[in-house]
Amino acid sequence: MSIRRAFSVTKRIFRGLRNDKRTVGLMFIAPIIAMFIFGLAFSGDVKDVHVVVVNNDAGFQAPGMPVKVSISDQIIANFDEDVLKVDYLNSEEEGVQRVEKGGAYGLIVFPGNFTRDIYGKIQNPSLPISTTIRVRLDKSNVNVATTVTKAVSDAVLKTMNDTGLQAPVSVDASNAIFAKNAKLMDFFVPGIMAFVVFMLTTILTLISVVGERTSGNLERLQATPLRASEIVIGYAFAFSIIGMLQTIILLTIGVLAFNIMIVGNIFLAFLVIALLAVVSLSLGILLSSLANREAQAIQFLVIVLLPTFLLAGIFTPVEALPSWLRPLS
Amino acid sequence: MKQSFAIETKNLTKKFGAFTALSDLNLKIESGVIHGLLGPNGAGKTTAIKILCGLLRPTGGEAYIFGKKVPDRSILPQIGYMPQETALYVELSVHHNLALYAELYGMSRSRIAERELELLQFIALEKWRDEPVSNLSGGMKHRVSLACSMIHEPKLLFLDEPTVGVDPELRASFWEYFNALKLKGITIVLTTHYMDEAQHCDRIGLLRLGRLIAEGAPSEITRQTNTANLEDAFLALSRQEVKV
Repeated sequence: MSIRRAFSVTKRIFRGLRNDKRTVGLMFIAPIIAMFIFGLAFSGDVKDVHVVVVNNDAGFQAPGMPVKVSISDQIIANFDEDVLKVDYLNSEEEGVQRVEKGGAYGLIVFPGNFTRDIYGKIQNPSLPISTTIRVRLDKSNVNVATTVTKAVSDAVLKTMNDTGLQAPVSVDASNAIFAKNAKLMDFFVPGIMAFVVFMLTTILTLISVVGERTSGNLERLQATPLRASEIVIGYAFAFSIIGMLQTIILLTIGVLAFNIMIVGNIFLAFLVIALLAVVSLSLGILLSSLANREAQAIQFLVIVLLPTFLLAGIFTPVEALPSWLRPLS
Repeated sequence: MKQSFAIETKNLTKKFGAFTALSDLNLKIESGVIHGLLGPNGAGKTTAIKILCGLLRPTGGEAYIFGKKVPDRSILPQIGYMPQETALYVELSVHHNLALYAELYGMSRSRIAERELELLQFIALEKWRDEPVSNLSGGMKHRVSLACSMIHEPKLLFLDEPTVGVDPELRASFWEYFNALKLKGITIVLTTHYMDEAQHCDRIGLLRLGRLIAEGAPSEITRQTNTANLEDAFLALSRQEVKV
């Protein structure tokens, strides 16, 4: 094992890129275009989102009514079962903890006198009380957050229509648990970064390794002291560096053009990108062994990249997938 | 004993499925000679060279380079290999191709510069140093490939058809250079199907359908077969083979 020889491979890749402006263009312009297009156009149906309900509502038995009613229960019953998967907890703190640990995307809190206050308000709209369902969300996934809020509002509307009550129930989703000011772009930029690094690294390694073989260079190199492991390490260096450069460009554009938020350790993000580059590279090399020509290699991409793209949970949450497909994801 | 030979093979055999590319090759090549492997296409010349360079595993028999049984990584720094089909990074310049191979052998920067100058003069491509290889003609690429195989000053050179596509004038200078290398004690094993060129070799091995049909100095072979030149000698030997 010689790092120097591995570096020679890395240098060779960069020198080759210097004379291959089109590939360089692809590397850096493609991610930018992808970010704009996805950022502006993408949205998908979200399903099976885990949420926690804390129902403090004691219910209310209005004078002259035979039984106690609970409007909160009716609203919960009207939640779209396809969209929300409900767990019940007793306190808001427990709920917040659950969201923080990633066990749920949001917390739906019904205040203590919810039903009583609704009836109160109906009789006297000027009463200074609020009948508000608070939805506290993990907004780092904006798509999901919006879906949860909408599902709650829909359920409220349906309940009002069913019962014929004209109650002023509001849904307040302002107090998010994570990423209070998140926008759709905040969610997409990391996804695009990861995907671009993954896709370009896999494609470029696949094509260049197949190219090394068809051009005879790989065989030629075997007659030198260069080891296979050194070739892989050389490639890994090159593509990690390229991945980082792509990340820097995307983050810069994200911050400048889309005003995204950066929360957490940015160096950790770079580390993850470098790791991702190595993983994609390995995938590229693995696939290259199955292809005899570059044209064949491209066809493998369709089989591997598209499913990864759709199942990775970067553009749509994993919750939006059919349940049997999730383990694969 | 073995140390006196640069290359020694014992019943070296290579089969690709049912096809026998090389059959019981027994060859001894002394250090500091130019040894030619001759034969028509498919005779097994390239297969023999690839086994000796460690690129193919033999199906039978053994091969030794400087007394070490191949494949052996420790002999790789001492050998240079020029493949028949030019294998270069076409997107890199001539200079960077040479530098890549030099670096793989751990050569110092100053030594690389010296060797590069020397070899670029030899292949007459000084003016093309910074040109991407993709802009070069076929013959020029071939010369760059030759230079790549020699950049690290190997003691043993395997050249698979080094003079294909090279004009007569340059071919003559190649042979001068090969002879100069020989005087430095370097062993050269080359393949060719130009029979006239084989006259320049100290010894030749004639291969046909994977078998060695004659071996010796060119003059010996023509004498034994009673022919005027190697081309006729090869034809005579082929006919003998068919009779047997």
